[in-house]
Amino acid sequence: MGFLLSCLLRLLLWYLLTADSSAVNLLIGVALALLLPHAEGPRQPLGPLLRALWQALVAVPQAYGEALALIGGGREQERWLELPASAPSQRLVIFLEVLAITLTPFTLVLGLSRVDGRPIYRIHQLRPMPRHSRTAPKGTTPSSED
Amino acid sequence: MSPLLPAIQALSGHVSLLLLGAGLLLWFWGTWPLLEGGSYLGRLHKLSVSDTLGSALMLLGLLLRIPGQWPLLALALLGLIVWNTIFGYVLASCSLPPPHEPPRERTAPHRSDRSR
Amino acid sequence: MTVLIWGMLLALLIPIAVVCRPCSVWDRMAAFSSIASKVALIMMVVAVIRDDWMLGLVGAISLSAGNSGMLLLANLLREVER
Repeated sequence: MGFLLSCLLRLLLWYLLTADSSAVNLLIGVALALLLPHAEGPRQPLGPLLRALWQALVAVPQAYGEALALIGGGREQERWLELPASAPSQRLVIFLEVLAITLTPFTLVLGLSRVDGRPIYRIHQLRPMPRHSRTAPKGTTPSSED
Repeated sequence: MSPLLPAIQALSGHVSLLLLGAGLLLWFWGTWPLLEGGSYLGRLHKLSVSDTLGSALMLLGLLLRIPGQWPLLALALLGLIVWNTIFGYVLASCSLPPPHEPPRERTAPHRSDRSR
Repeated sequence: MTVLIWGMLLALLIPIAVVCRPCSVWDRMAAFSSIASKVALIMMVVAVIRDDWMLGLVGAISLSAGNSGMLLLANLLREVER
């Protein structure tokens, strides 16, 4: 299934690049998509892949919302977070998840590491301070300095 | 149908100017922190706002102006979003000192999945 | 549209000013990546204004090729610093 998806992606790129939907051109595109070397490795399951793709698509409008919040937000606070990640063997899923997390302006992936045998993302977060805690003393904000 | 067409064209011209202007505002807002101090990662967050999201707005504005060239503009939009986001991640993870965990295993998703 | 081009050029001057000042190498990389995408966008807007799509083609290709050289350079610098 991953094979089919990568072929479809290559065909899409070829069509967008040439902007020509004649049969001969599409045939050349199909031949190129099949003949170019494919990535090796374990089989990629389809379900998590489609879910990660959907998350990456949803992240685009969400990113604009967060950008507006960041512009109108005033003072900011920085935090270091850790979120659970998928298994590192599913490289395409990891790629899409990193894309979705980094695309949104609040969060930025710093790397993938392993805690107690489970993979996690190390994430840096920058978000506007919530209004009720803006007058609170600085030490009470839950920030873990790495 | 025909009297509606000029109205739609004028509207799309205005919307495209609006999108271009909004993208320019995002450019200025996100690039200005480069000149100031502050944490490097915070500047990267704002640079991703300006370069990815602002430029994507501008490309959408251009798409309204020349809808005949949509395949190349779509390709540029896809490439812009993916490349700038991945470059922000690479800059952030490379600028940090290496993590001081005892098992130095680099399972980070390096460029092995860029073969697509 | 002319105002827009002037505004984009002004925005382009900001990362150029950052590069001209003495700063760390990572700041410099971020500024250069910003310059790259801004120049490609300016190219496409100029192409639309002058109605010359060849120029826009160059902009679109440089956007979709991305700054992959800078990406390799960042990985290389990280390995050197270690």
